[in-house]
Amino acid sequence: MTGAADTDLPGGWEAAAAEYVLGLLSGDELADFERRLAQDPDLQQDVAAWQEYFATLAAPVHEVAAPPRVLRRIEAQLFGGARRSLLGRVMPYMLGAVTAAAIAWAVNFSGLLGDDEPDLWADLETPARGLVLLAHYAPSSQTFMVRRDAGEYPEGRSLEIWMIPQEGAAPVSIGLVAEEGLTEIPVSDAIAEALPGAGIAISDEPEGGSPTGQATGPVISVGQLAPREE
Amino acid sequence: MSNPLLEIEDLIFRIAMGDRAAFRTLYGRTSAKLFGVCLRVLNDRAQAEEALQEAYAKIWTRAGQYRANGYSPMTWLITLARNTAVDKRRARDAGVGRRTAPIDAAELVADPAPGPAQQAEARGEAQALQLCLGGLPPERAEMVRRAYLDGATYAELADATGTKLNTVRTWLRRSLMQLRECLSR
Repeated sequence: MTGAADTDLPGGWEAAAAEYVLGLLSGDELADFERRLAQDPDLQQDVAAWQEYFATLAAPVHEVAAPPRVLRRIEAQLFGGARRSLLGRVMPYMLGAVTAAAIAWAVNFSGLLGDDEPDLWADLETPARGLVLLAHYAPSSQTFMVRRDAGEYPEGRSLEIWMIPQEGAAPVSIGLVAEEGLTEIPVSDAIAEALPGAGIAISDEPEGGSPTGQATGPVISVGQLAPREE
Repeated sequence: MSNPLLEIEDLIFRIAMGDRAAFRTLYGRTSAKLFGVCLRVLNDRAQAEEALQEAYAKIWTRAGQYRANGYSPMTWLITLARNTAVDKRRARDAGVGRRTAPIDAAELVADPAPGPAQQAEARGEAQALQLCLGGLPPERAEMVRRAYLDGATYAELADATGTKLNTVRTWLRRSLMQLRECLSR
């Protein structure tokens, strides 16, 4: 056999994991390795460990202030150069909501949304606080659920659930994590429509939730909703 | 929050929520480090600026996936910047046959002791890796550093050591296995 785990070369896949992180694999070897990596959790752990170790090699690299034009270029690239009016900033979201609602209505009406839509899940862990939450969306009942598997609910505060739509639109509040037991929140058609592929974030808010409609406290966890094999 | 790593993680989470102010704050906190990393790889200011711009564009669009690989926040940022710069360097040097400075065992000195700032910053991983690299012959430890920090290829490492490519690869893979064993102790 030839490739990253070539028996003529010492170390097999384990050495290839380090080569991969260093960027020393190319062509067929790289393709072979990535195919294997996708299905081998041990190899994934090796890659993650090497990333952590090798990133520390950058510790002695001197910090150099980048010229101000770089940030200007980045912001122009990502956000567009001109500052838009408040209405200009709000309108696309409103249009988006109207469009989403229209699509949801059309899809429901035409029966495209069958019962075979998969349930979606997102792991939301906050190692610093020891909180382990599992988000679960069931399209059949259009219900968003959150289970708290570990950690304490912050006293005198509320944990708020946010949906981050795929297309860079503003986050939308789904509701609050219940202090006790399973959180079950029926969601609107517009949110239901946007949930597949969306990100889910949890923020720490004053009791009763954010007073502004946007996250005000620290965002303590972000996860991606995806189907899960059971 | 007094832990700088938790602060950076919080900023990444906020960026995932589309928070532009958080993005600007993260840029302020981390861009000098990432620019240093890009400069080290590319050794060219204009190209390093481009790499930095690409890296922060990726940070903005990929912040939602930050948790997926379980990296610590600085590792995630450094890895993104380093890989972006290395890709740029490879594209630039493709076919040019770039020459690298020779690795001469006689000229390599033991690593200088880290300064107080670096010591304060150093986590367990940094110390463990330094210790284990110190257990390798100096020219092999230098090969590992060049591969990561300069994005050197096997062809360049062979050139720098005056050795055949296959020999260099066998050496490096042995050294990597030795490192792995040392690090898992």
